[in-house]
Amino acid sequence: MKAAPIFEAGSHRWWILYDQDEHRVIDSNVYVMESNGQSLILDPGGFEIFPQVFAALVEVVPPSSLKAAFVSHQDPDIASSLPLWHGCNEQIQWHIPKLWEGFIRHYGALEAPLQGIPDEGGDMLIGGRRLEFIPAHYLHSSANFHVYDPEAKVLFSGDVGAALLPPGHGAWVDCRDKTGRAFEEHITEAKYFHERWMPSNAAKKDWINRVSKLKIDYLCPQHGAIYRGDNVQRFLDWFDGLNVGTAINE
Amino acid sequence: MDVQRIMQVVDASFAARQSIEKSLREIDRRALNAMVLVKRHGNALAGYGVVAQAFRERAASLKESASHLQETIAPLIHAHMRILQHQRFVTSFDTMIQAMAQYGLVCASLNNTQSQWQKIITQEETDARKILLRLIAAVDALQEGIEEQEYVVTNGRIEAALAEGTGAPLMRVSRDMGEAVRTVSNVIRTYRHQLESLEHESSTHI
Repeated sequence: MKAAPIFEAGSHRWWILYDQDEHRVIDSNVYVMESNGQSLILDPGGFEIFPQVFAALVEVVPPSSLKAAFVSHQDPDIASSLPLWHGCNEQIQWHIPKLWEGFIRHYGALEAPLQGIPDEGGDMLIGGRRLEFIPAHYLHSSANFHVYDPEAKVLFSGDVGAALLPPGHGAWVDCRDKTGRAFEEHITEAKYFHERWMPSNAAKKDWINRVSKLKIDYLCPQHGAIYRGDNVQRFLDWFDGLNVGTAINE
Repeated sequence: MDVQRIMQVVDASFAARQSIEKSLREIDRRALNAMVLVKRHGNALAGYGVVAQAFRERAASLKESASHLQETIAPLIHAHMRILQHQRFVTSFDTMIQAMAQYGLVCASLNNTQSQWQKIITQEETDARKILLRLIAAVDALQEGIEEQEYVVTNGRIEAALAEGTGAPLMRVSRDMGEAVRTVSNVIRTYRHQLESLEHESSTHI
């Protein structure tokens, strides 16, 4: 797995850990935010990829700086590594959707400190910086959150924006081409994922209304590549026009 | 495997790497300053020019050695996290075996599976120790490079003392070089002690 910087302003940094080496499980991106020597890991990944995520993480931050973890929803590719992270550092505070607490405990580490995020969302402080938990329910999980950093203008968008890319993929959707051709090529890898894994057009509209009010420079999905610059709006427009829940909404 | 001990070593690796990279950048900058000074004074400082050039070349070689260090740290961390992952299996099987024992039940295949995982872990611990020894060898190579650099600094000081008129700025440059080299030398020595203590613990355990 590789680590690449997304944003840096003094002691405030974001990284992506991407392109995992194990291909039998779905390829996942893990994000790290650091502020004033304290760091947060977002969707720390599955049990199977834990060793490589950890090795990539310590390329960019020391493990003792890890104060908190965010879990967007209950899926195994998101949080089944929880007991291993807890084994490494019992002080990590876990921010998880409140609705999923009893389910996430099934991964183990019954004594891990879990902070339930209520349905309406909330915020947290890390290294003196405030991050917002943006509700994204039913996209795709029934209790689901994204994280917005208003200073860095980074939106961690969980499964929204996800694309199933081949091994060796890059961290970014190319934004140098102003015609949007690179985006058009990329989005073909994202289409089925959104049509099939996103169940509700109403939830999609609600989310688009919510995030359209935010200033987003980087839209960072948990699978695939990061959208930046014009590609952020291109993605929102594309998603707005997409029919989802296609297993029943053909 | 003591996870907290591993975490300390991982933290130390991070700190050492950052500090080494910063110091090497500083050494390179000092060497460049020295060369500029030499150019400015022409043939009068030719002797010091040779030293500054050697200092710069050594700095490049140290950077190369430091990159080998990083190549070995990552597999070591990976190996230890894999052991942690597999220990989780062993612990789960152990919990199951104990829970069944409370009801007077014994499941031979469960015991067998647990012992298979234990064997895997033992092998992984041996492999991790080999990686650790490679890392210590990489640290030793870096340490040797630093000792050579210290020798170049001493030569620089002699050349600076011999240089008439421009001796003062040269002495200052030599002192700065010496400080930068000493910083990286201290970091590496401390880091090596930490690795040695981990190696001692792991060899006792195996």
